[in-house]
Amino acid sequence: MSDNTPKEQNSIPTSKVERSAKFVKTGFKIGGNYIKHYSKKLFNPEMDKSELNEDNATDIYQSLSELKGSALKVAQMLSMDKNLLPQAYVDKFTQSQYNAPPLSGPLIVQTFKKYFGKEPGQIYDKFNIRSTNAASIGQVHQAELKGEKLAIKIQYPGVGDSISSDLKLIKPFAFRMLGMSEKELNIYMMEVEERLLEETDYELEVRRSIEFSEACANLDNVVFPKYYPKLSSKRIITMDWLEGKHLREFLATNPSQELRDQIGQALWDFYNFQQHELRAVHADPHPGNFMITPDGKLGVIDFGCIKVMPEDFYYPFFALTSTNLFESKEDTIKAFRKLEMILPNDTPTQIEFYYTMFKQMIGLFAKPYITSEFDFGEKAFFHELFGFGEKISKMPEFKQARGVKHFIYVNRTNFGLYNILHELKARVKTDTYKPHVEVLV
Amino acid sequence: MATTESIQKAYIDFVLTEGAQPKSVYIFAKKNKMAEEEFYKFFGSFDAVEQSVWTDLTRKTMAEIRAQEVWLQYSSREKALSFFYSFFELLKSSRSFAVYSIKKQRGLGTPKVLEPTKDIFEEFADGILSEGIETQELTDRKFFSKRYKDALWIQFGFVLNFWINDDSAGFEKTDEAIEKGINVTFDLFQRSPIDNLFEYGKFLAKNGGIKEKMGF
Repeated sequence: MSDNTPKEQNSIPTSKVERSAKFVKTGFKIGGNYIKHYSKKLFNPEMDKSELNEDNATDIYQSLSELKGSALKVAQMLSMDKNLLPQAYVDKFTQSQYNAPPLSGPLIVQTFKKYFGKEPGQIYDKFNIRSTNAASIGQVHQAELKGEKLAIKIQYPGVGDSISSDLKLIKPFAFRMLGMSEKELNIYMMEVEERLLEETDYELEVRRSIEFSEACANLDNVVFPKYYPKLSSKRIITMDWLEGKHLREFLATNPSQELRDQIGQALWDFYNFQQHELRAVHADPHPGNFMITPDGKLGVIDFGCIKVMPEDFYYPFFALTSTNLFESKEDTIKAFRKLEMILPNDTPTQIEFYYTMFKQMIGLFAKPYITSEFDFGEKAFFHELFGFGEKISKMPEFKQARGVKHFIYVNRTNFGLYNILHELKARVKTDTYKPHVEVLV
Repeated sequence: MATTESIQKAYIDFVLTEGAQPKSVYIFAKKNKMAEEEFYKFFGSFDAVEQSVWTDLTRKTMAEIRAQEVWLQYSSREKALSFFYSFFELLKSSRSFAVYSIKKQRGLGTPKVLEPTKDIFEEFADGILSEGIETQELTDRKFFSKRYKDALWIQFGFVLNFWINDDSAGFEKTDEAIEKGINVTFDLFQRSPIDNLFEYGKFLAKNGGIKEKMGF
C-alpha cells in the first residue's frame, strides 16, 4: 500500500497546480490591465475605462473558454452558426471538455450514500474508486457486478448551477464579441442552456439512451451498451463497459480502408437514421462519445445531448439540401425566410446578397447528399468548406448571427459528423437513409 | 430509568418545541417524570447535554468512516474529506437541533457547545495529519505543521455555518464547499512554491557572502 499511495498523490497536485495556474494567469493579466490603465491615466486624465473593460473582457473570455466547458461550447456554437467553422474551431471543438478537478473518493462514496443509501462497495462486487476517464460533466469508474464489467458515470455536484451562472457570466462578453443584440443572443443562449441542463439530468439520459439504442438496434455495425436504470439516479449512471478504442487510438493503428469505410458508414447511418427517421438526433458528435470495438463496430456511449427537430425546421432545411428547390430562386428565398436566414426587413440588396451566400453555403454542405457515394477523405471538399467559412467569418454582413435557433445544434451535429468522417477518410454510401421531403417539380 | 440518550432526546424535544432551554433542571426533570438528582447522574448542566449531542455525533461519524472498506486506502486528504461528508450527512437528521444550538450563541471563536467536540476533532485531525506527514503526503514545516489542525477546525466551523445557511436541494452546495475547501486546505499543507522560495532565500542568505570572501 505504501508503494501505491504516494504515487497517486503525486499525480493529483500537478494537474491541480496547472488548473489554478490558469486562474492565476487571468488574475495577473487583469491586474496588468489595471496597471496599464492607471499608468496611461497618469498622463491622460481624460481617459475613460472603456479600453480597460475591453482588455479585461478579452482576457476573461479567453480564460473562460480555456477553462469552462459550457462557456466554451457557447462560444463555439455561436461562431459555428455564423460560418462554416474555421479549422481552429474544429480543433477546439474536439478538445472541448469540462475542466473540473476529479472528484475525491469520499465524495463518490457520499454521492452513492445520498442516492442509494449504500456505499459503492455494497452495490457492486468490485468498484474502482479512482476514475478511469473524464466524462463531459462527470467522471467514469470501472465496476463489476455478477461477472459483468460496468462503467459508472458520476456527475460533479453543482454542475447544473454552474452552467446557468457560467452562461450569465459570459453573456456580456459574448454579446460584445459577437456584436449581437441582446434579444437575438437570448434566443440562442436559451437554446444552449436548455440542452446543457438536459445533459445534467442523468435520469433523462438513461431513458433516452434506452429509447435510442432500441430504435437504432437494427443498424449495421452500431452497438450500444446496456443501461441499468435501477442502478442509476439523478447523478449516477450504470451501464455496460464497452471494450474498444477511441477514434484517435483507432486511427493510430493504421486501419485498412475497408475498416474505415465500415466505421464511417455506421456513423453516417446512425446519424441519418436519427435525423430522418427519428427526427431527433444525438447532437454531440464529439470523438470521445464513440468507441470502435475490437470487431470493427461503432459503439455509441453518450446520449446526454439530444436535439429534437421540429417540422417547421426539418422541412424547409432538408428541402434545400435534397430537392431541386434551388432551381427556383423564389422558392429558395421563401425557404430562407422560413429559416430566418433572410429577415423580414432586409433590403433588396441584402436579400440578393444573403441569397447568394446561403445558397453557396448550403450547396457546399449538401454535396455529400447529391451523389450516392461520397469520399470524405477528399481534401478539396473540406478545404472549400473551411475556406468558405473563413471567408464569410470576415464579412461584416455575417457579424450578426442569422437563422433559427435550431441551427445551433443541427449544424454542430452535421459538421461534427463530417469532421469525424474526414478524420476517418471514409468512403460512405450517402443514400442509405434519405431525408423525407417531397421533390418539387 | 433515565439514560444518556433518553435525556438527550427529551432535551432536544424540549428546546425545539419551546425554542429555549428549560428554566431549571427541576422543571425539566419534573416534566420528564424523573428525580432531579437522576439528571445530575448523567449531566452537570443543560449545556453539557448539548455538548454531548455534538460529541456523540462526532464520535459516531468517526466510527462509521473507520468501518468503511476504503478507509485504509485513503490518503490523509481523503480521510479528512470522508469525515466532513459523513458528519454532515449524519447531521442532516438533527438539522433543527444543530441550527438551534449554533444560532443560539453568535460571536467569535468556538461556541461553548462545540468545545468538547473541538478536542475530539483535533485529536482525530492530529492523527490523520501526522500520518500524512509520515508518508510525506504533507510537508513537515517548523512551527506550522503543529497548526495544521487549527486550519481544519476553522474549515469545520466554516462548513458548519455554510450548511446552516445552505438552502440547495440535498445540500449539494455544502458538498461543493467541502470538496473545494478541504482540497484547498490540503493543497496548502503540501509542498508549494512558497517552500521553495523559502529554501532559496535560506540558500542565498547562507551563500550570498561568498563573493566578498573571494575578493571579487
